[in-house]
Amino acid sequence: MNDADVPADATDRVLLQRMSTGDRTALATLYRSYHGRLCRFLSRLTRRPDIIEEVINDCFWIAWQKAGDFRGDSRVSTWIMGIAYRCGLKALRQHGEEAVEDSIPEDRTPADDPDEDRELRDWLSKGLERLSTDQRIVVELVYGEGHTLDDVATIMQCPVGTVKARLFHARVKLRNVLPALAEGSITVKERNDQVP
Amino acid sequence: MLATYFGQDCPRAWEMMPWVLQNRATKKQADWLASHLAQCEACRTEFAQQQRLQQAMSLPSEVEVDAEAGLQRLLGRLDTPAAEEPKRTRAGGWLTRALVAAILIQAIGIGALGLKMWSTDQTASYRTLSQEEPAPATSGTLRVVPDASMTLGDWNALLHSLQLQVVGGPNDVGAYTLAPVSAKSIKPNTLQQLRAARGIRLAEPVTGAP
Ligand SMILES: [Zn+2]
Repeated sequence: MNDADVPADATDRVLLQRMSTGDRTALATLYRSYHGRLCRFLSRLTRRPDIIEEVINDCFWIAWQKAGDFRGDSRVSTWIMGIAYRCGLKALRQHGEEAVEDSIPEDRTPADDPDEDRELRDWLSKGLERLSTDQRIVVELVYGEGHTLDDVATIMQCPVGTVKARLFHARVKLRNVLPALAEGSITVKERNDQVP
Repeated sequence: MLATYFGQDCPRAWEMMPWVLQNRATKKQADWLASHLAQCEACRTEFAQQQRLQQAMSLPSEVEVDAEAGLQRLLGRLDTPAAEEPKRTRAGGWLTRALVAAILIQAIGIGALGLKMWSTDQTASYRTLSQEEPAPATSGTLRVVPDASMTLGDWNALLHSLQLQVVGGPNDVGAYTLAPVSAKSIKPNTLQQLRAARGIRLAEPVTGAP
């Protein structure tokens, strides 16, 4: 566990406990504290703000109902991301193609985005569009959210080996697709790259 | 360079990179990776790429979603239980409307026969209400059916305010058996308060002597 995880999780647990007694202020606090990361996580599934909000609200609706059932065998963040993941997949099924369409007009992109960030986003999007949904989710959870392989397996409800494989293949793809930083870097053939 | 990349340490270095970036690796592992990177250009390039990936993934979402507006809509949704969520009636949740109807019909029948009947009857027609009774009913024990729209939070808050705890149930028609937290917490008007509480469908004494 990362050092930063412990106090954050303790706070989340208190909020969840208060939610289980009907405390809406605790719900609002937890909602605000997760909103940013859930938005980013879900933006890897869909670009539609209305669908993202719908999924976040479905997720917290369930968290509100089930706060009293939280058994504490994972971190609260892992629990919430797992709910959001399942709600997100469900929303994708319900909305179909429209969820995948890129609905952000150019002028909607944040105006205060520095050039450097813009460049970084463009660089990243070139890579992410080549990944499968599952691979994108694993990359987001590991690099964006800082989750461990075990966490990701819990969130996606699959074996750790599956997560490892998804991460590995995502990295190989990204490495081959993304323009490298240094001059003369090599392209790795996937079959040569198997980690034992 | 190419040769080094396929050296035996490279796969290990490759696998370790995300966890070193997350500060989850031990100092020993991080030191080992640093020494490998110092002598392996290919892994150095990969690590730089990994750092850039982490940096890019950490940028806030560019899809703008208003948190406060969303929260207000969520809170509004909590207040409109009539707009029933399909997921609310899944197995393991609160009882379905059909079961509520079933128990209300039974309750009317029981009411006609008298409350004593409810707590002692062992015949098949009332078995669903009294089955799996955990212990002989003690003074102040109640049987309660919460409404399907009642949240777990509201349920907990109600039990807490009335100093009650769940000692049994739900049975298969959704009836919970409640008892005072302690003998001292028995209050004469608990039953009336339960019946008046929002979200309580049915509340009856088990012993008939609140
Ligand atoms: Zn190497």
